[in-house]
Amino acid sequence: MNEVANVAPQAKTIMEARGITKRFQGLVSVDKVSFSLAENEILGLIGPNGAGKTTLVNMIGGTLKPNEGDLLFEGERINDVSPYRRAHLGIARTFQIMKPFPGMSVLENVAVGALFGRDGGEKSMAKAREIAREWITFTGLGQRMDAHADALGGPDRKRLEFAKALAMGPKLLLLDEVMAGLNHVEVDEMVELIKKIRARGVTLLVIEHVIKAIRSLSDRVMVLHHGERIAEGDPALVLADPRVVEAYLGKRRT
Amino acid sequence: MVLAQILLNGILLGGLYGLMALGMALVWGVLNIVNLAHGALIMLGGYVVYYIFVFTGLDPFAAIAVAMVIMFGVGFLLQYGLLNLIVRSALLNTLLITFGLDVVITYLAQFLFTADFRTINPSYAGANFSAFGLTVPGIRFAAFVVAIALAAALWWLLNRRPLGLAIRATSQNLVAARLYGVDPRILYAVTFGIGTALAGAAGGLYGMIANLTPYIGASLTAKSFVIAIIGGLTNPFNVILGGIVVGIAESLATLYFGATYSDVVSFGLLVLVLVVRPTRTLRAA
Repeated sequence: MNEVANVAPQAKTIMEARGITKRFQGLVSVDKVSFSLAENEILGLIGPNGAGKTTLVNMIGGTLKPNEGDLLFEGERINDVSPYRRAHLGIARTFQIMKPFPGMSVLENVAVGALFGRDGGEKSMAKAREIAREWITFTGLGQRMDAHADALGGPDRKRLEFAKALAMGPKLLLLDEVMAGLNHVEVDEMVELIKKIRARGVTLLVIEHVIKAIRSLSDRVMVLHHGERIAEGDPALVLADPRVVEAYLGKRRT
Repeated sequence: MVLAQILLNGILLGGLYGLMALGMALVWGVLNIVNLAHGALIMLGGYVVYYIFVFTGLDPFAAIAVAMVIMFGVGFLLQYGLLNLIVRSALLNTLLITFGLDVVITYLAQFLFTADFRTINPSYAGANFSAFGLTVPGIRFAAFVVAIALAAALWWLLNRRPLGLAIRATSQNLVAARLYGVDPRILYAVTFGIGTALAGAAGGLYGMIANLTPYIGASLTAKSFVIAIIGGLTNPFNVILGGIVVGIAESLATLYFGATYSDVVSFGLLVLVLVVRPTRTLRAA
């Protein structure tokens, strides 16, 4: 019994995909992909354009249904659970193409997340505004609280996406290329922000093309290529894997 | 003095017009359904108020509150059971199905209520008071106040309540709203229910100042349509303002050309607005 006590407790699995496949007509976008996410882990998901990363996130978020395979969240099969109920379960995402509610203020945008997020959300408007204010400040948008969402610039819109998703109180947060189009300084800020989010106990699946960020953030990295998982594991090892380099840069000439 | 009196009459009538259009604008803006049965629902609400008033003797204004609850239920079930099938589909589908609904409700009303003219006629129906030398018809003034109050209530709901935030979020971005945890089927049903309750209130007020028949629906739909476009689909107060513009224009037309031309005026106004400021008015549509 003493030996057992010395072993670090196995981290609990929060989400699991078992052989999920998504076809669009004849085209296989995601091909029998299996992976799992441990609680409070950051999994980096990389791959060339068209590899199926966003399709995978759409299936987890519920806007697309897999043709084959199972998705499990906290041990329950969620294939047939509608997007809004997945939000209640604690799954949140940001969009590669940002989707603020254009006619609302920053505060109202984020309050929507708080009002209808995990477990159906906060019922009191005052409380929801309070939660929203907290996350807006957390993401560094505190100065723009009452600005109209469509008046925000690119980096601020990304912060808004974060704040909205966080206000839902998610257990699992899916980030779809939140660093695209940011400069070096902004990327570093974003990395710090994601680390702070993880420190709050959130599990993250991060799609990213900025390899520097993936390297410094991820506990594990998974690589998709033509819809298939071609590598997975420790970031340093995966990023040095010849197959991964080939997928990104093409074959080395010999 | 005559002109001032005409303007006052137009403004008071316009408030009611605005209330008629309020439900249509809400449903149009959020569900993208141009509800051709909206006028029929106004008519139905009028009869509900009429029968509550006749059979229970309840004051018509209290009966309107009861009718709004009943009409909310009617609207909720219509949307949940029927219109959710075509929501966000091609505009033609929504036009076809709501046109069918208009026909069904109209002839159901003819069957149930007969084609006789009905008026909701409380004891104080003819009461007037005067202010600044003008005669203010009591019922029309009360109808105006109710219309403003309901527009204010809708504004408050949309801007200050969780439900309203969900309604606005869904109308601005359906896909995102679902991912933030909003159930669109229930939300659509509630929204349509609110629109129908507002139509019911408008019908009750209409029945106090004009005759109810099963056939008033089509022209009220047309009027609501015009006002919804003039007032825009997002701000309840603008819709009331649109109603007042139409009300004044109609009153002036009645004065100068005769009552038969009042419909020409509201549609003429629509054409004028679309020619002069098409982008601003239709931006929200």
